[in-house]
Amino acid sequence: MLDFAIYCLTIIAVWSVLGLSLNIQFGLTGLVNFGQVLPFGLGAYAAALAAQAGLPWPAGAALGLVVAVAVSLLVLLPARRLSQDYWALITLGAGELFRLTALNAPSLGGADGLTVPRFADPHLALGAALALMAVAWLMSHRIAHSPFGRLLKVLREDEVLAATLGRNPVAYQRTVSIIAWAMAAAGGVLYAHIVGYVSPSSFTVTETFIVWTALILGGPGNNLGVVVGAAAVQLLSVSSRFVASWIDLPADVLANGRLALFGLVLVLMFLFRPQGLVPEKKEVRDAQRR
Amino acid sequence: MLSVDDVSLSFGGFQALRAVSLVAMPASITGIIGPNGSGKSTLLNVVAGVYVPDSGAVTLNGRPLAYGRPEQVAAAGIGRTFQVPRLAHRLTVFQNMMAGERDQAGEGVFNLFLRPAAVSSREAEIAGRAEAMLKRLGLAHKANDYAGSLSGGQQKLLTMGMLLMSDPAVLLLDEPAAGVNPVLIEQQAALLHELKAEGRIVMLIEHNMEMIANVCDRVFVLDAGELIAAGTPAEIRADERVVRSYLGMPA
Ligand SMILES: Nc1ncnc2c1ncn2[C@@H]1O[C@H](COP(=O)(O)OP(=O)(O)OP(=O)(O)O)[C@@H](O)[C@H]1O
Ligand SMILES: [Mg+2]
Repeated sequence: MLDFAIYCLTIIAVWSVLGLSLNIQFGLTGLVNFGQVLPFGLGAYAAALAAQAGLPWPAGAALGLVVAVAVSLLVLLPARRLSQDYWALITLGAGELFRLTALNAPSLGGADGLTVPRFADPHLALGAALALMAVAWLMSHRIAHSPFGRLLKVLREDEVLAATLGRNPVAYQRTVSIIAWAMAAAGGVLYAHIVGYVSPSSFTVTETFIVWTALILGGPGNNLGVVVGAAAVQLLSVSSRFVASWIDLPADVLANGRLALFGLVLVLMFLFRPQGLVPEKKEVRDAQRR
Repeated sequence: MLSVDDVSLSFGGFQALRAVSLVAMPASITGIIGPNGSGKSTLLNVVAGVYVPDSGAVTLNGRPLAYGRPEQVAAAGIGRTFQVPRLAHRLTVFQNMMAGERDQAGEGVFNLFLRPAAVSSREAEIAGRAEAMLKRLGLAHKANDYAGSLSGGQQKLLTMGMLLMSDPAVLLLDEPAAGVNPVLIEQQAALLHELKAEGRIVMLIEHNMEMIANVCDRVFVLDAGELIAAGTPAEIRADERVVRSYLGMPA
């Protein structure tokens, strides 16, 4: 039971990193990334490939970050000066493209995926996940409460205004993507070493949907909200598994039921509490002066 | 000197600007008037780099401006306001003001993480200026309110304040007095005179003829995308074509 709790906490921490990354993109900057699973998957596969090649884990981590940053720039290239709807579609498509490639490339293990060395000690895994979450949190916090973050929020509210104020929106969006995708890739590297394997079925649109649910539930623009949301969604997910085994629900019904539940959560949040459980705080002048 | 040479622009088949030429001098206020839909805002958008003209050129001190790149035009020292105010609604008045300043150490990620002291000292400087400017505009008591919660007139004032934070050499103002109460209009006029005295180029679109008469050194009149008159406010008032198409008969 304790082991299970430790595992849950570890997974919540990993998903919080993914959520914090999405929050920098959407919560602060207004970028609708429907392919949030892509940098996560790139990090995980980089960890796996490095391990297959007999390289130590830091090599996999470095590879994951570099690839995720490179791919973010590539994906953003056509998204330049495109409206938000295209942004959402491009990222969605890029994520699927990656999954299908992994599914069909033998060198990436195909549907079976690849094995990755696991953390020997679950406590160590939890420690690593919490450490990464802390780093992601501190970075997000620093960004959100800085002149950079302020400009990102202006960009979120009104791109034309940001341009009128002499800032190039694309340049800021690029910086945000680099940071956020590197963050998500780090989460992916860690995830691969926690679960011990990577396979295309772990990086579907559903995963992106789950991160979005966590963010919208918790509160876009608020770091604490993101972590609360990630915890709530993961706990909901775990408890639904218990309920399912109680009442003997088949696995596919469970999976679909869970998605429907998340969908319901999203709809209810949009209707009744669009600011999330922990809304973005107003940045008041005196707090700023400190 | 800001100079617009022979600028034409059409939207689809609709000719919004027809070979418009005008100049706006430093330390002077240049008015642009004309009926609704005559192309005033469109002209301002061409100068500000929002629209790319079909032909013609816009230059500041002889250097051509970047068409279609508003951020580059702004970086060249040309600031603007919009007819319908644009603000970051879910940021406070104070934060909007702070964002008005272009030169921010804390917008670079490296500075943010590696030179926090430089970031916070620059931030304090900008905050001091923002505070003074809000006082000047009579918005100090609203500093911590969301910009979206301001009244229409207050929003106009705030956009003006944001603009001034970047210390622009050129100000393009699209109907700053519309929806603003008479006392504030007088304050705005005084502010425009100060900006003029500081040697800036001010271009002012207005329907408020009293304000135009009070502040403008020179006025250009647009009608259906065409420049139909230019001169001092007094000359414009006496121009028969302008009276016919825009001002109407004096009572
Ligand atoms: N983006 C656009 N696409 C198509 N037509 C446009 C566009 N922008 C402006 N127009 C048209 O160009 C004409 C001039 O518009 P503009 O906004 O410049 O008028 P204006 O002189 O500022 O009027 P007002 O005093 O009402 O603000 C109008 O007929 C308008 O419909
Ligand atoms: Mg107009």
